[in-house]
Amino acid sequence: MSLFIDLAVNGLIMGLFYALMAVGLSMIFGILRIVNFAHGEFFMIGAYVYALSAMKLGLNPWVSLVVAGIAGAILGKVIERLLMRPLYDGYQSWSIVKDEYAVVVTFALSLLLIHLVDKVVGPSPFLGPSLVSTKRIALGPLMLNGQKIIAACVSVVVLTGLALFIKKSVWGRQIQAVAQNRFGASLAGIDPVKTTSLIFAISGLLAALSGALMAPIMNPSPDVGSFPALKSFIIVVLGGMGSIWGSMAAAVLLGVMESFFAVYISYDYRDTFGLMVLIAVLLIRPHGLAGRKGRET
Amino acid sequence: MNTLKKTSLAGLFAYLSVSSVNALAADPILIGLSITQSPPGSVVQGTQVKDAMEIYRDMINSSGGVLGRPIQFVIEDNQGIPEKGRSAVEKLITKDKVVAITGTHQSSVCLSEIEVAHRYQVPYVNTNCWADSVREKGYPEVFNTSPYNSVVADSMADTIKSMKVKRVVGFAENTDYGIGLAKGLGAALKKKDPSVEFKYETLDRASKDFTPAVLTLKSNPPDVVVLTMLPPAAYIALNQLYEQGVAPSSKTIVYDGAGMADYPDFWQNVNEAGKYMLTIGMYHPDMKQTELSKQISAAYKKKTGNEPNRLIFQAVDSLVVVVEAMKQSKSTDPAKMIAALKTGTFDGARGQMKFDSNPGVSFQQWVDIPYVNYQLTDVNQNVGKTSLLQGPGMPLNIGKLQHPK
Repeated sequence: MSLFIDLAVNGLIMGLFYALMAVGLSMIFGILRIVNFAHGEFFMIGAYVYALSAMKLGLNPWVSLVVAGIAGAILGKVIERLLMRPLYDGYQSWSIVKDEYAVVVTFALSLLLIHLVDKVVGPSPFLGPSLVSTKRIALGPLMLNGQKIIAACVSVVVLTGLALFIKKSVWGRQIQAVAQNRFGASLAGIDPVKTTSLIFAISGLLAALSGALMAPIMNPSPDVGSFPALKSFIIVVLGGMGSIWGSMAAAVLLGVMESFFAVYISYDYRDTFGLMVLIAVLLIRPHGLAGRKGRET
Repeated sequence: MNTLKKTSLAGLFAYLSVSSVNALAADPILIGLSITQSPPGSVVQGTQVKDAMEIYRDMINSSGGVLGRPIQFVIEDNQGIPEKGRSAVEKLITKDKVVAITGTHQSSVCLSEIEVAHRYQVPYVNTNCWADSVREKGYPEVFNTSPYNSVVADSMADTIKSMKVKRVVGFAENTDYGIGLAKGLGAALKKKDPSVEFKYETLDRASKDFTPAVLTLKSNPPDVVVLTMLPPAAYIALNQLYEQGVAPSSKTIVYDGAGMADYPDFWQNVNEAGKYMLTIGMYHPDMKQTELSKQISAAYKKKTGNEPNRLIFQAVDSLVVVVEAMKQSKSTDPAKMIAALKTGTFDGARGQMKFDSNPGVSFQQWVDIPYVNYQLTDVNQNVGKTSLLQGPGMPLNIGKLQHPK
């Protein structure tokens, strides 16, 4: 029973971390129809900014967490302005845009960022400073990592905040409008370019925050983003491409299922499990658990 | 005038001839290095290999080179990917015309590269590929100055037997090295102490969460957790064993089979989780220091500001045998170099090297490779201050092994 609870709690924590990472990717795909292959590198940049600003500049880790989030948002905005906007500038519908160009651009960007950090900061992994001093917390039979608990709590707060932002705020409604119909939104006076920029900033912020929260757990190295990026792609497909709620649910589901699969079926194939789910979803329900069937034309 | 003209022309011709001979004599000898310089492979290891080899190359060149010619590297980045390694070696041999290949530090990459070296019959000196299969192929072009899984597994099995433990669990990364060493350890334990129950779990080295594997050990912790994993995955596993209170504990000790305790980034990545870790090491300051190792050590500290570790000396030794093969055969012809490598002895940084000719895991392997077993008894402990349980060529003193209270 103790093992069961341990696995459920660990899976839930991992699921929340996956969710924070995947929602940004889902927003970019669902709303902008861009597959962002550099999403893992937003995570990596967040981890590095957090750890280096705390370790080298001596900032309080909580301040570093905020700095990492801001850095991710700025990076997202800059990438949208310099690399993405030329792909769609002047078009009102995504159907005209050759989104395969975005795939090539983001893939190249991913390689560029990995190699840049490798050469500038160095190839060695390092452990970021923890947000709490207690590494081990005993809760009855459970032994939990203090940083993981904090990461899970921050994830819940940020995801709830994001949900409220999208539902209640003017900017959030503009995002919803652009997601439904870019051309229609522009006729209603919404600036799709500004909205696109905002979506990239939010996506960068979420991934960077995720990286910062995991820096004291995952020993970041320049290629640390590949693992969460892969999970995010699985989650986005599983949850329904573009569905933020679907992504959140799919992330938690994947985290918990992986945890149990590893112990009760096979650890060897634990990470393959997600890919098996991905293939099954594409075959049986290609629009995912909560996705829409069609795309804007 | 005609005579003067003829004499001048003859003089000019003679000068040009001598100059051209000198120019030829000074043509560098090209040696191919296939190392990891960018992810996903271990760039840390690749950088160490490159730094060490450059130090030794400069030492050789400043003392007149080899056969009167300087040596020069052609470096290819294999990224730790077997396919990239294969094409890197193909290019080094066919386009760059290198006289030998060395530097590779990952077993799966070695395994693909030796196929090419074998096809072109070019000497290949393995720097840090531990998988036995690199030797078992029996390729006459491949020589091994690297540690190998069989000898590491044997030593670890001896240590575990001395500990008089009942249950051992291995965490093996999903590579030729990781799985190969875990299997080798299982076989060695079966032979040396069949009463020990051993099993291993294969973990994805790209993964960032090994908690489910650790959780299964919580209710019934084993006596020893053996790690046959490389950083950063090994660091993550070590931290998660510590977080869950599985190891180190009064019952369970972690035994590292990768010699990672002397990595420059080890303590920064593991902190308290590294305390009490037992490790097999291919280098320890208490080992006999050769004149070459002292020179390399000083030059490496000056160049990088770091203490040298085993990989520095392994890299130097693999270049030593290439250089000495040319000197002993007085040639850069691959066939003559291979013949010299088969029969020669070579004074390296870690001792005198000679390659075994018996088929199997020791084929063309330097079998008397020195190793030690030591335990880290404090956080941030320098390797020189660790508790040495077994010195090179010495019996094991298991009584010195400490458990947390």
